[in-house]
Amino acid sequence: MSDWIAIGALAVVGIGIPLGMMGVSALLRPSVPEQGKRTIYESGEVPTGSAHIRFNIQYYMVALLFLVFDIETVLLFPWVVIYRPALNAGVPMARLLLPMLAFVGILTVGLVWAWRNGAVEWMSSPRAMRRKTERNQP
Amino acid sequence: MSVQQPSTVEPLAALPAQTGAAPLPEWTALGPVLALVAAGLLLLLWDTVFPNRRTNTELSVIAAVGSLAALALSGWYLAAGTGRPATGGAITLFAEAITIDGLALFFTAIVASVTTLVVVASRDYLTDHETPGEFYSLVVLAAAGMALLASASSLATIFVALEMVSLPSYALVAYLKENRGSVEAGLKYFLVGAVSSAIFVFGISLVYAATGSLLLSDVAAAFGDLGDLAGVAGVGVVMMIAGFAFKTASVPVHFWAPEVYEGAPAPVSAFLSSASKAAGFAVAFRVFTEAFHLGGEVTAVGIDWALVFAVLAVVTMTLGNFAAAVQTEVKRMLAYSSIGHAGYALIGLAAISAGGSHNGAVMGASMAHLFVYGFMNTGAFLFIAMVERWGVGRTFEDYAGLGTVAPMASVAMTVFMFSLAGLPPFGGFFSKYFLFAGAVFNGFWWLAAVGALNSVLSLYYYSRVVKAIWIEDPTDALAAVDSRPTALYGAVIVAAVATVVVLPGFGPVIETAEAAATALFG
Repeated sequence: MSDWIAIGALAVVGIGIPLGMMGVSALLRPSVPEQGKRTIYESGEVPTGSAHIRFNIQYYMVALLFLVFDIETVLLFPWVVIYRPALNAGVPMARLLLPMLAFVGILTVGLVWAWRNGAVEWMSSPRAMRRKTERNQP
Repeated sequence: MSVQQPSTVEPLAALPAQTGAAPLPEWTALGPVLALVAAGLLLLLWDTVFPNRRTNTELSVIAAVGSLAALALSGWYLAAGTGRPATGGAITLFAEAITIDGLALFFTAIVASVTTLVVVASRDYLTDHETPGEFYSLVVLAAAGMALLASASSLATIFVALEMVSLPSYALVAYLKENRGSVEAGLKYFLVGAVSSAIFVFGISLVYAATGSLLLSDVAAAFGDLGDLAGVAGVGVVMMIAGFAFKTASVPVHFWAPEVYEGAPAPVSAFLSSASKAAGFAVAFRVFTEAFHLGGEVTAVGIDWALVFAVLAVVTMTLGNFAAAVQTEVKRMLAYSSIGHAGYALIGLAAISAGGSHNGAVMGASMAHLFVYGFMNTGAFLFIAMVERWGVGRTFEDYAGLGTVAPMASVAMTVFMFSLAGLPPFGGFFSKYFLFAGAVFNGFWWLAAVGALNSVLSLYYYSRVVKAIWIEDPTDALAAVDSRPTALYGAVIVAAVATVVVLPGFGPVIETAEAAATALFG
């Protein structure tokens, strides 16, 4: 039980100190509202536009295809590590190789299908192009 | 039914028995799942080779052959007694992550038959769609996930299989990209589904934390000696109930069903409300009988889950039936009726007690009800798909006089409606009769009484459809009925024939289901 008292005390102090500092400084400081204080800090850059913009859905498609390779790698690594010891221990090669070939084969079918159906073709949207050119006009 | 087949059966049929001359290797027990996966990959390959082909007949044929192969394999294994106690017991694969037994094969057969009907009917429903390849591969791969879900016996496999079903389902619901209703339904389904999955996997993690294993058999063993962790395990079990309630569209996570079934393309509604619901019940039956069995331990912890399911069953069937009675659109009425039927099927989990003499009978009757429901509900939604294809309209009034222009399909729809209501000459009567009788024999007469009262109420709204089709005068809207979609017609008729044929063939179905359920309690 005493452990929990220590943790509780730490939590009270941890919440109290920042709140206290903010409260004291709010009482002491002069109030000087200024535009620069309210803007978003962007590493010293002047921020332009809003963060709520629509991203092209094609980024999403590429990210999904990347995921295929990502998962493939994660599952290939442990297999590679046990491959040689298992072979030396007398496991037949077909039992080691075929499941992984089937797995990679399934992923390949999906990738080839996506490729063939235009998931990686970078299409240009006429509407987006028009907007871009309008914005760049003086 | 007799499990030991006479010697006229091919030696292959003795697969698990290790008695025949040449038993099949063990992995072939996964045959139905593998057939569905192979069909899904073949569909993707076909679409890769011919990406711009607009006709979907070939795709439909590939998908139908794949699901028929899965149906034939699971039917054969069921007939040969694969995975039964008499032939050496359940087959476990991959370090017990997968168990093939009567339950798994029975539900695989349900899923495969619904999938066959849906893919055949979709040929006409999606006749002028730009990318039909995606639709068929998603349906077949989701069906593979459902078959895997029915045979998963580790909590990790269950979760992965659940997501294999859910993710294609979200895409299928939103498949009509240009249709606002479809997209809205897809978004709602995704949001509710994501939250339910999160709750479910949280429940799994709590059960794992308390028991130290993901395998159902180890979880069951650890439940005997939980000590301080009983509360953690109890919360985990309750959270997992929420996950199952989502998949089976029962209270408290039922509210997505009307929106989703109404907005989705009608064949997808048929697929989700029949196959997906059955798969959800399959995994719920397995988890609650194998891992959290009512042998005293769980009850000692403080969760009498049968009581929880009894409350949920009563609320689900009452809510579904009352809401269905006040609908104006036929598809939405069927969606609420689907919730009501989830309530009936929940009796299979609710009306069992520790050491009850009829536990296997009542759960088997629930499985048989889901089997019959698979045909009659799929058929009803496919009839709606046909009406949507004609563009007649969605409300009861729009259905007026359909019997005069499409008599065959209307007879089929009448069969579905009366069977769903549970009137005597059709399959739905027998499955409900066995379900309620099992509940009464097991001492849960009040559950059976609530179920019977709800069935009487349901007759009201089902007969409204029949009245509109046959008795009311035709309207001008029927001029839109100009085409005869052969495949859709065929699927509807086959579903109707199956609903009626179950009448003489109900003996084997209920016996197989009861044997499979009794094995779970063994």
